[in-house]
Amino acid sequence: MADRQLGDARWYEAAVFYELLPRSFFDSNADGIGDFSGLTARLDYLEWLGVDCLWLLPFYPSPLRDGGYDVSDFMSVAPECGSVDDLAALVEDAHRRGIRIISDLVMNHTSDQHPWFAESRSSRDNPKADWYMWADDDQGYADVRVIFVDAEPSNWTFDAPRQQYYWHRFFHHQPDLNYDNPAVVEAMLGVVRFWLDLGLDGFRLDAAAYLSKKEGTSCENLAGTHEMLRRIRREVDHHHTGAVLLAEVNQWPSDVVDYFGDGDECHMAFHFPLMPRMFMAVRREQRFPITEILAQTPAIPDGCQWGIFLRNHDELTLEMVTEDDRDFMYAEYARDPRMRRNVGIRRRLATLVGNDRRVAELLHALLLSLPGAPVLYYGDELLMGDNIYLGDRDAVRTPMQWTPDRNGGFSTADFAQLYLPPLMDPVHGYQAVNVEAHRRDSSSFLHWLKRMLEVRRQYPEFATGSLEVLSADNPSVLAYLRAPRAAAAEGEGTDRRLPAPSGPVTAALEGAEADGEGATVLCVHNLSRFAQPAQLSLARWEGATPVELLGRVPFPPVTQAPYAVTLPPYGIYWFELRD
Amino acid sequence: MPSRFPPMASTGSSSVTDLGSARVPDFGPLVGAYLARQDWAQTALGSFGESNLPAEVIDVEVLRTEHPGMASVIVACRDCTFHLVLGWRAVAVAPGVLGAQSDAVLGPSRDSSGDVLVYAALADSELVVDLLEAVTAGAEHARRGRVVQSLVSHSSLVYDDRLFMKCYRVIEPRPRPEVEMVRRLDAAGFNHMLAPVGHWHRNGRDLALVREFVPGAVEGLALAHTSLRDLLARADSSENGATFADVGIAGGDLGPEMRRLGETTARMHLALAAAFGTEVRKDSGPPSAVVAGAVRLHGDYHLRRVMRTDGGWLVAGFGDDPLMGAAAGAASQGEGRFASPLEDVADLCCSLQIAADEAVAWQTRSTRAHARLLAKGWQDHNVAAFLSGYLATSGIETLVPGSRREVEVAVAELLAARAAPPP
Repeated sequence: MADRQLGDARWYEAAVFYELLPRSFFDSNADGIGDFSGLTARLDYLEWLGVDCLWLLPFYPSPLRDGGYDVSDFMSVAPECGSVDDLAALVEDAHRRGIRIISDLVMNHTSDQHPWFAESRSSRDNPKADWYMWADDDQGYADVRVIFVDAEPSNWTFDAPRQQYYWHRFFHHQPDLNYDNPAVVEAMLGVVRFWLDLGLDGFRLDAAAYLSKKEGTSCENLAGTHEMLRRIRREVDHHHTGAVLLAEVNQWPSDVVDYFGDGDECHMAFHFPLMPRMFMAVRREQRFPITEILAQTPAIPDGCQWGIFLRNHDELTLEMVTEDDRDFMYAEYARDPRMRRNVGIRRRLATLVGNDRRVAELLHALLLSLPGAPVLYYGDELLMGDNIYLGDRDAVRTPMQWTPDRNGGFSTADFAQLYLPPLMDPVHGYQAVNVEAHRRDSSSFLHWLKRMLEVRRQYPEFATGSLEVLSADNPSVLAYLRAPRAAAAEGEGTDRRLPAPSGPVTAALEGAEADGEGATVLCVHNLSRFAQPAQLSLARWEGATPVELLGRVPFPPVTQAPYAVTLPPYGIYWFELRD
Repeated sequence: MPSRFPPMASTGSSSVTDLGSARVPDFGPLVGAYLARQDWAQTALGSFGESNLPAEVIDVEVLRTEHPGMASVIVACRDCTFHLVLGWRAVAVAPGVLGAQSDAVLGPSRDSSGDVLVYAALADSELVVDLLEAVTAGAEHARRGRVVQSLVSHSSLVYDDRLFMKCYRVIEPRPRPEVEMVRRLDAAGFNHMLAPVGHWHRNGRDLALVREFVPGAVEGLALAHTSLRDLLARADSSENGATFADVGIAGGDLGPEMRRLGETTARMHLALAAAFGTEVRKDSGPPSAVVAGAVRLHGDYHLRRVMRTDGGWLVAGFGDDPLMGAAAGAASQGEGRFASPLEDVADLCCSLQIAADEAVAWQTRSTRAHARLLAKGWQDHNVAAFLSGYLATSGIETLVPGSRREVEVAVAELLAARAAPPP
């Protein structure tokens, strides 16, 4: 069993995650495809940046018709990514640096090339005949929505060899597993054990909401799905303490909290609706899109944490917004139809914000200060661009840009051999946007982000503190307090609190350089492209001195009067309130 | 719909403290000179520059006797009746509590403990907190309270960013329309307003109203200016100058918000009809094809009377509401008027126009003409969105049965009437 002496079992509450595609990160053997050895070679950079946990997108053998989410072998590594031994070496090196690694686990379905499906489709009476969901017609589960509406007309596809239809919630080449079959449950538990024994620190559970199916329902969030997740959690708790389960459930927070169970299902779940609303708030120049969703976010059990993000490997999903808001987002962020995909926008952060560094900083400041564990997407720390002329979501999966050299330093293979072409446009191309250049430039966004991660680490309240949105007379200004829970409980205005989890600060934080521990942090953000004044309701902090966290600059003390601040365009102030 | 708050605490008393008792100071000799120094009293009386006023204490309720003492005092002065909340402490202690607030001091007096200094109780943070308990008959407590605004008719206080109190200064000889409106709308189940929590009255006089305070709420006018700022700034951009067609797609488009406000407004009118009934229309207004009957109007409905919160729009003000800002304080609470609900609609639409005019006024001379054009488009766009929300609200057809086109024409006529110079 791998070394897990990296802190306590609740490390994930305070962690900063970094999502990457092994295929797109660094190619060590000049075959044009990123691999584990390449990733291991780049751990220096990730350690320097200051991330705590890597989230690896699927690296399993796959026909790659859905970015690796069409797995054809759950217990192996795609040859182009390396070997199981290479992954073990990566984990060992990362752990030595205090960096954890989780991977995607695609439980809902397999590739149609998986041996399980090959056997299942071969006849109606083979041993795996009911490992998938088969039917004689395509009329079942008529109420269930089609997710990939651009590509799939139905959730059923006819299979000629078996002369039956099989069920799939995603692409037709991704048949859904049948979790009513105990053998499937056991097989998947075996997969979980295999990787945790190798040393992985947990899983991001892909499409976790769809595992169980029941006629007459939407086949989402069903009791059977929760039972399966509790089954996995028991496995993890009994044999792999410290491993984390992070649910991908693109639903409203009130539904997603069910995936925490009573603290006995997933440790973490993504907060999907918050993400588009951060972008919406910036374009509308008002805070309500964010504060509304925070107000609708229920408290979660002790020991649980939200995962929050700005961008990821998928499209910027707009499933959890109203039609009005969807139209607004398309109009503001995806005027070119090529930028749209399914119900969302397939663009990276930099291009979404018009390469405006101020907006990127503002959005990251929100990401790092709102309740939840922030998940960064590889390349966004450089403000890498995208390529909307690539198919599907490959637009946002182009190779990491390391240097201004050939292929952006990603690979020494011939250009034509590359997994995906690196960006070469004049604005976002690797000639200008790359790790080497931005590390050398001390005023780069990369250095700014590294500094913000350092500041965040000094204040555990960013990770586990309570949240209190403050009254501000200016709707373009979003201000909130992150306070130690004990202090918050003694405070006032209790009705605006607690989307964040409760519980003690993790032992990892207690042992780390948490020199801001016990502090109350005031975060003030200007969502407007123009300078803005604001008066904040801080009377109960009368006498406290706000100390700005980046420069340690003391501001005028708080009095009974509303506290006046003036913010530059897209300005950010993080203060510690000192008595 | 049930109220979001438990039933409102209503504190009433008809007792008058024996003014001859030595337990409390004699306020009579002090109030005339004090009122003469107060801008709000001078404004209410229309009398300025006097050093003393003929004031008579006609009613006292002692709220606490131990120091610091506190009493609610009704004073008759010429044609006005004033409500003073007064406090007192020993002369050796009071100055330290009041600090620089010398304007709050009425003067020296005596109580059963000896020499005291009498002052306006809202200058004493301890008494401010106690006042909430007195007003709500002990139903509400707070750790902190602060005066956020002082207007002619009342002082406004906020407690723990949770409750908001209007403590009336100028007492009206009849039930205060705002109190009546809030209480009856609450009874009718109208939840899109700051919920009432407590009502303090004595001998038929309304003395204070306590309602919920919603942290993070923003008045509608601020949102309107945010939207206008975005639109007009696009006009400034040489590369991406806004055109008339951009009005509805500007990043700060207010349209969806105005549609939701239209729905809230329609619900308010339905609740007003339920609470006060409807009347056959007597005034001249929109044709009967458009309006089925007259409802009790809000009467002073504009963007500073509504607040955007995390839960949607609230109607925050029904009178001189300090949350709506100082300018709104000048608006008086008139008698409840029954008329077409489109009068309120037109008032709100008129305030959109005022917001647009203000935004244009902030432009430079060279950009003003184009800004005016855009602002007019913005106004039309948001009036249309507001009407869409209003007319789409289930039930509003019982009050406004006309077609969309007929309603638009009627509102346009009402707007034109508001724009016309007075005869």
